Amino acid sequence: MWARRFGRDERGKMTEYAIRITRLNYSYPDGTRALQEIDLDVRTGERVAIVGPSGAGKSTLLLHLNGVLTGSSPIKIANLNLERSNLQQIRSKVGLLFQDPNDQLFCPTVFEDIAFGPLNLGVPAEEIPARVNKALRECGLEQSIGSRSSHHLSLGERRRVSLAAVLAMEPAILGMDEPTSNLDPRNRKRLIELVSRLEVTLIVATHDLGFVLDVCSRTVVMDRGKIWADGDAQTILSDTRLMEEHGLEVPLPLKAETRP
Amino acid sequence: MHIPDGFLTTRVALSLDVISAAGILFAARRARIDLSDRIIPLMGVLGAFVFAAQMLNFPVAGGTSGHLIGGSLLAILLGPMAGFLTMATVVIAQALFLQDGGLIALGANIFNIGAITCFSGYAVFRLFKGKSGRDNRLAVAGFLAGWFSSVISSAFCALQLGLSGAVPLQIGLAAIPGYHMIVGVIEGALTAGVLGFLSRVRPDLLDTNGAGRFRGADWAGALVFIGMPAVILVLAGSSSLPDPMEKLLIASQSHVAEESALSGIDFLISGTIFTLVIVTGFLLAFIWRRRSRP
Amino acid sequence: MRHNFIDRYSSLDSPLHTLESRTKLLAFAILIVGVLSIPTDAEAIFFSYLFAAAVLMGISQIPLGYIMKRMVVLLPFIMLAAVAAPWKGYAGFGALAVRAVLCLILLILLTNTTRFAELLCGLRRFGFPQIVVINLGFLYRYLFVLMEEAMRMKQARDCRRVGRAPLTEELRILSSMLGTLLIRSFERAERMHSAMLSRGYSGDFPVVAPRRFSWHDIVFLAGTSAFVGATIWAR
Repeated sequence: MWARRFGRDERGKMTEYAIRITRLNYSYPDGTRALQEIDLDVRTGERVAIVGPSGAGKSTLLLHLNGVLTGSSPIKIANLNLERSNLQQIRSKVGLLFQDPNDQLFCPTVFEDIAFGPLNLGVPAEEIPARVNKALRECGLEQSIGSRSSHHLSLGERRRVSLAAVLAMEPAILGMDEPTSNLDPRNRKRLIELVSRLEVTLIVATHDLGFVLDVCSRTVVMDRGKIWADGDAQTILSDTRLMEEHGLEVPLPLKAETRP
Repeated sequence: MHIPDGFLTTRVALSLDVISAAGILFAARRARIDLSDRIIPLMGVLGAFVFAAQMLNFPVAGGTSGHLIGGSLLAILLGPMAGFLTMATVVIAQALFLQDGGLIALGANIFNIGAITCFSGYAVFRLFKGKSGRDNRLAVAGFLAGWFSSVISSAFCALQLGLSGAVPLQIGLAAIPGYHMIVGVIEGALTAGVLGFLSRVRPDLLDTNGAGRFRGADWAGALVFIGMPAVILVLAGSSSLPDPMEKLLIASQSHVAEESALSGIDFLISGTIFTLVIVTGFLLAFIWRRRSRP
Repeated sequence: MRHNFIDRYSSLDSPLHTLESRTKLLAFAILIVGVLSIPTDAEAIFFSYLFAAAVLMGISQIPLGYIMKRMVVLLPFIMLAAVAAPWKGYAGFGALAVRAVLCLILLILLTNTTRFAELLCGLRRFGFPQIVVINLGFLYRYLFVLMEEAMRMKQARDCRRVGRAPLTEELRILSSMLGTLLIRSFERAERMHSAMLSRGYSGDFPVVAPRRFSWHDIVFLAGTSAFVGATIWAR
């Protein structure tokens, strides 16, 4: 379990990098250049935030992590080159949480939604209920929610069910797209606590810089399909000039620190 | 017009169940849909779209309300086969969610509201759109497709009700399609309006998903569409041999079972002709497809 | 916004609710065919079916008022048939109306005592094509999402409008609303597809093992078949 989560390769050697992206380019079918010369290495167990204005290419980058989109150059996930032949294997390692839970919860019941991933990975049917219940527990949800339909849930619950659906696949790498958008303060806090406890390599695209400060140690600034800065979260987020150049704002806690 | 259970004789209803089931299996196979393709969620969401759009009633003069059926629109957007499959899903869902249309009458409703609207709508659209694809042509073709599909579909509904003896054929054929000739204007206007909107805002959706993808089926659709009036004529002819009113009077004195036996023969004749028309259509389409393949 | 107009009563806990979905699909289909084959002049059989429907309604715990309200879908057809009554005879019309009402009650009972997810499972077990079952699932799930979007758009439109526009203007507004909704649906489908792929989807929509038959199911199925058989034999 431990070994798989932290991505040892076949020979038992610890793989240093969970994600290696070199000179990745991607254009949409209509010709818009969404990603330009992206270089990004993420160490195993690291928690990285990708910040930047809307339309910067953050979500597009996340979709490359498990091969839903494929750009110009190959990506390495836990020392594996992402190729057509090992897509299924990669997708079992990389879980993606989408911005709108309605996109992610497409089954008639919560149980079926959480079981969808494991069943696709070939987990035997007898083990499914245990997997689903474990994922629900991890996300702080009651077991009885399983028989309900997603449209009867609140947004906060839906977001946690989506996370449970991803965690049920037991990914080593978790990509999240705007996990706190539209959440009320209580649900947001709950999600932050939940995410902080997870033992995965985390890569989060977000506008919520408070969330970044609480959860992530490293921050990447993205804008117009390019990476502009990459480093320690505190340092980058308190760089007023950099933040304003890319349509962001220095978060309040950091502003307070600079005051006399 | 979603026919509830009880208005069609068991014989008419069950034969249409069989025809519709065969139609669904055929379309599922012919559309050659790869289950991993993105068209799978698209069909699901567009089904929900049509369902929601049908519930968005809006008042028309005179206290009645109109809404979109959506069959022709789906056929234009997804191609006739995938469109038909989606409409079939919508009709099943309407029976299961809202009890709109019966369980045994499901086949009849899938046939009228799914197959007929999709295939006739698509055929009319292709017929009038032409190659130019100019906006006003698009609107005219969309309008005619919507209007015609709604009228033809209601004619089939009337036909089945007539054959079952629930409503006299003449009255049914006058009242139901007559009403839809008026309400169909809304269907047509909305189909044209939505197509016009799409061609202004997202023309790529019109290019890639509908036209040109199932070209062989154009012919099938057109033939079904041409075949329909023929079937109606044959039907009207065959059932007027003994005057329908007279026949119904005789029937009303005895059991429903005998009545359905009488109409069963009519149905058998029309059903055979109709099936033949469809089969020829699909055969032609198949041959045409074969030939056009390099 | 929460919607429950479709499955308001399907999670009650009556004996009918606990039956397996396949049992109910089969049993209710048999009952409906039974109703359809009642001869016009067989009052006794009509009453026995009405009695059976009343018993089932009682067991199901679904409020009578709700069932009555749903009867409205029959209205246009009953009216059309009423026009024909003078020719067909009033007995025939009466029988037709009662048959239609009985069938509708049975369908309401079937769909309101079974959760939709289970109904889908049953349909799939009965050999419905996979593509139709998958689409029914999506349709059920996204109907609510789309209706919410539609409602929001409708509210936005109403906010900006005073009084009633002429019909042509009304139609133009409605078609651009529908068009917007349609474009959003296309985009939603695209994102759903990404989400499906991300969770390992490769063309086979997996299902969780369905519930097993219990002896309740066998008793119910045998009971309804015997009832329908008896009414046909008694004719």
